Amino acid sequence: MTNEKPLALRMTGITKSFGGTKANDGIDLAVRHGEILGLLGENGAGKSTLMNILYGLIQPDGGTIEVDGVELRMTSSSVALSHGIGMVHQHFMLIPAFTVIENIALGAEPSQHGVVDRAEARRAVVELSERFGLKVDPNALVSDLGVAARQRVEILRALYRGAKTLVLDEPTAVLSPQETDHLFAVLREMASAGMSLILISHKLNELIALTHRVTIIRDGKVVGTVETADTSPQELATLMVGRETSLVLDVVDHKRTAEPLLKVRGLTIDDPKLGVVDFDVYGGEIVGIAGVDGSGQSELLEAIVGLRRATSGTVSIAGRDVTKSSSRTRLELGLGYVPEDRTTEGLVGALSVRENSILRRQRRKSWRRWGLLAPSIILAHARALIATNDVRPPNPDLPVQALSGGNQQKLLIGRELADNPDIVIVSQPTRGVDIAASRDIQRRMLDARNDNRAVLIASLDLDEIKALSDRVLVLFRGEIVGEVARADATDETLGLLMTGEKA
Amino acid sequence: MNAKLSAIRSAALAPALALVVSLIIGAIIMLISGVNPLTAYESLLRGSFGSASALGKTLSNATPLILTGIAVAFAFRGGLFNIGGDGQFAAGAVTAAWLGVSLNLPGLLGPITVLVAAALAGATVGALAGVLKARFRAHEVVVTIMLNFIVVNIAMWLLMHPLDGFTQVPGSAQIRPENALAPLGFGLPGVHLGLVVAIVAAIAATIFLWRTPNGLELRVTGISVKAAKYSGVNGTVAAMIALGGGGAFAGLAGAGEVLGTYGNMTVPFVTNLGFLGIGVALLGRNHPLGCIVGGIVLGALSAGGQRMQFDLGISAHLAEILVAVVLIFITMETAFTRRRKVRASPSPLNSIEASNDR
Amino acid sequence: MIVDLTELLSSTLRFGTPILFVALAGLLCERVGIVNIGLEGMMLISAFFAVLGSYLSGSAWVGLGLAIVAGILVALLHAVATIRFGANQIISGIAINMLALGATGYLLVQIYGTPGSTPQVTGFSATPIPFLRDIPFIGPALFGQSWFVWVAVLLAIAIWFLLSRTTIGLRIRASGEQPQVLEASGIAVLPVRYITIAVSGVLCGLGGAYLSLSMLNNFSENMTAGRGFIALAAVIFGGWKAPRVLGAALFFGFATAMIIRVPQDVLDPQLLHIVPYVVTIIALVMFGRGSTAPASVGVPYRPGAQHS
Repeated sequence: MTNEKPLALRMTGITKSFGGTKANDGIDLAVRHGEILGLLGENGAGKSTLMNILYGLIQPDGGTIEVDGVELRMTSSSVALSHGIGMVHQHFMLIPAFTVIENIALGAEPSQHGVVDRAEARRAVVELSERFGLKVDPNALVSDLGVAARQRVEILRALYRGAKTLVLDEPTAVLSPQETDHLFAVLREMASAGMSLILISHKLNELIALTHRVTIIRDGKVVGTVETADTSPQELATLMVGRETSLVLDVVDHKRTAEPLLKVRGLTIDDPKLGVVDFDVYGGEIVGIAGVDGSGQSELLEAIVGLRRATSGTVSIAGRDVTKSSSRTRLELGLGYVPEDRTTEGLVGALSVRENSILRRQRRKSWRRWGLLAPSIILAHARALIATNDVRPPNPDLPVQALSGGNQQKLLIGRELADNPDIVIVSQPTRGVDIAASRDIQRRMLDARNDNRAVLIASLDLDEIKALSDRVLVLFRGEIVGEVARADATDETLGLLMTGEKA
Repeated sequence: MNAKLSAIRSAALAPALALVVSLIIGAIIMLISGVNPLTAYESLLRGSFGSASALGKTLSNATPLILTGIAVAFAFRGGLFNIGGDGQFAAGAVTAAWLGVSLNLPGLLGPITVLVAAALAGATVGALAGVLKARFRAHEVVVTIMLNFIVVNIAMWLLMHPLDGFTQVPGSAQIRPENALAPLGFGLPGVHLGLVVAIVAAIAATIFLWRTPNGLELRVTGISVKAAKYSGVNGTVAAMIALGGGGAFAGLAGAGEVLGTYGNMTVPFVTNLGFLGIGVALLGRNHPLGCIVGGIVLGALSAGGQRMQFDLGISAHLAEILVAVVLIFITMETAFTRRRKVRASPSPLNSIEASNDR
Repeated sequence: MIVDLTELLSSTLRFGTPILFVALAGLLCERVGIVNIGLEGMMLISAFFAVLGSYLSGSAWVGLGLAIVAGILVALLHAVATIRFGANQIISGIAINMLALGATGYLLVQIYGTPGSTPQVTGFSATPIPFLRDIPFIGPALFGQSWFVWVAVLLAIAIWFLLSRTTIGLRIRASGEQPQVLEASGIAVLPVRYITIAVSGVLCGLGGAYLSLSMLNNFSENMTAGRGFIALAAVIFGGWKAPRVLGAALFFGFATAMIIRVPQDVLDPQLLHIVPYVVTIIALVMFGRGSTAPASVGVPYRPGAQHS
């Protein structure tokens, strides 16, 4: 696999600052032909910046890029493309309103005098699709495609533009275990055909499984490059975080309450994404809802919380039927909800921490004096939230968008837990949050559970589900297709259920 | 307090700069037309602030403008563009013309009832656009502009038929004197209680937006509809409050003109105060109190413009051009200052990095 | 109420054509991702300069040329303000409308001496096609029109072809749907937007010139009377697709043609005036800015700064 040819790709001394912060600080990266290199780092470590520089979307402040030994200036993505660099983005760069062919060919359309040659485009796409085993329907609209299919389109697009070096940014974040296996098979094929691959991921197991070497980035700097064969997940984790981190959460057995705090019966909404759902959540347990992207997780949670109207079925909180109640009523009855979108839903980025601290409960009389909102009362509340949840920087007048992702999540979860709700519902708890804050958030959910509250989480991250849940309910195409206890929750079992293969 | 003062100062920078730029462009236009801009601007100043009667003109011009400015600013805080100020103004004015003539209530009850009715009329027109937007996703910009044409035409028809006062000039009859808004005095001719109404309205709007839960909900809706829904806000109701509330202010503006300035409503009537309200709102940075300042500035421009026309024969249309230039430059300026602020932010993760890794 | 079919058809085409030109302009802008509320102002300014050109030179063609240049310049003003300087697209459009009203009003007095309207100028007369115009019923209506009408229809077809079949059209659409994707595929977004908006300026120029040099033969204050907004409604009504926009524009032309034919005692003419605007609102309610709008229309785009 290693040979005497020049390196497929070499980045040397890449530096880039945004405002006062160094996102990339003298980074060196090298990939050989036919090699799969892993790029490991936490959220915010600098991986995406580095890749965007490689792809020509951002200009570095310093450093060089060499492709096959030739130094290049990546002034735009077309330069990157013309030198065989392709990218599969984490949040797909696709146009939902276009067909698969249109998406793949955009920018390099086969044409006669400006008129697109549809037949030729189709032929090229089908040929590539068959050669690499990436099945797609060329005429389908991307908006109709599922996540795995969209990813195949992204990969095909890179191949169509003649990519010899392919960068994949967190490709498995939204895939089921089986889809991940399939993807890895395709990637190994590409590598043995001579392509070079860079896999950006924070999933240690996958890096171990797929890569030849791993480069670890922390705080904008490279802290090491290791041969995958010689390392372990623990070592990688330590390098990534910079100190010994326990990979395992401390979960003690806890007895759940006799009666369920949350009862869902025959619940369905006016949306094909969600079917008919039945389940209970007891106090003192964490129930995790697993599923692939699009399985109906968000719709289910929104229906339970009251943001979507139920067309039939019931939702009960501590025995009380709340199906016809507004989400505000459910909140006051003890239903806390942390949505997956921090700055655009749970919090309002442009408003201050102070004003955000009373959102969702702004109508409570306790904030008012003489009929109007009292700034001093609200300020005290905000200060209390900041202190209890270790939100940094501790300034209540800062706009929420000035806080980091982890601090925002701490504030959001803190706000919802401050009411001591009997039921806590959290969607995608640690998405986009670094490891330290993730551990903190997961700890808080465990604390709530140990405090005999009912905790319901939904996550696309199977590792998180497995670590936290006492019971896992698997959602497939809007219906619960299986319930798995903590002891039996393996990637294989869950993965099969998530893709609807086992009854 | 200090923080508030510096916030006001930085907010005032863009409008001030925009005004300066527009005056420069105005000067260029005048030079090309063969007029001396210095004499022209001197005339402008004299006509707007140079005497008690000039100040009176400025303030009486400002009165409806402050309100139509709030009409735009209020809706904007709720995330909607209220371009329907003209129609809402007409609705309020016609209501005032109708009730002002026919209503006979003791003391202040008369004008107050008319004002409330006019506000409701304007609110109805605005809320209609709000409902159409919330329920049918009909874009409120085109809908409110269409409503302008519709309501103004209906108003004119009303004035020429059921409300016809059979007076010399076509339009309504004179309103009863007990329903009129009394002059303010202070040696300022032309200024009436409507100015007080406008200032009170500005304060009320400010208190609503920043000191009530409903106001907070409106502002949240204006930033993120998703967050508003999460906070328990009904989208349709929010749209109705934003545009209906805005319409109420514009309706008050119309009533103020009928009850205070003219004493009746003739055909044809002035129909661009709503549009100018957009300029007022932008100058006032979409803050109701800022609209007081914006209203006075545009009121001054209008009074001064009339003087320029009288003294030097410069068409009043020049003022329209200046307002348009101010609009463009303010909205461009806002983008400038916002970009500068983002880049200079000390926060480590307020950057592309954070949003990428989501 | 006896309806003269020929006259009705002819009127439909005559009233629909200016709307069609401007609607096509709006269509291109929206497809490339820019909201253009200023179509009304662009049309007004073009109409003014069309008359000015003819007035100064005695030739309607010079007027047309000047109108097109004016249209391009105003369109570029909107483009530069919104793209380069990040101005809010809606406010920029409104400012352009105000600018048009003020500038044309001001220049009207400066150049011609009297406010209100200009004197009559040389315009374009109808260009009937010899044999076809003699076909009974539809002949005079379809083939007795000014050449502008044909150009408008042909342009509608051309734009349909451009957007759905050519590489440029694909990129224009990509710019309006997901500009960051277009950029990632190696095509710079800003030039695509600027050029498309300039072309829309040409279309506004044609629309304005038709109004003041063909339908009428002079310019009067605010002569566009809301047609620019009705054109925008036609774009929405037509679901952002050229052939349907053509239909929508003709429909609005038809509505306008019909209201003239309602006798006075049925409905007061003052109230009749509101019919096209009511129809527009109904059209918007029925078609809204639903899921078929270009996904990124109205969203400001900064190259390289964001992705995913």
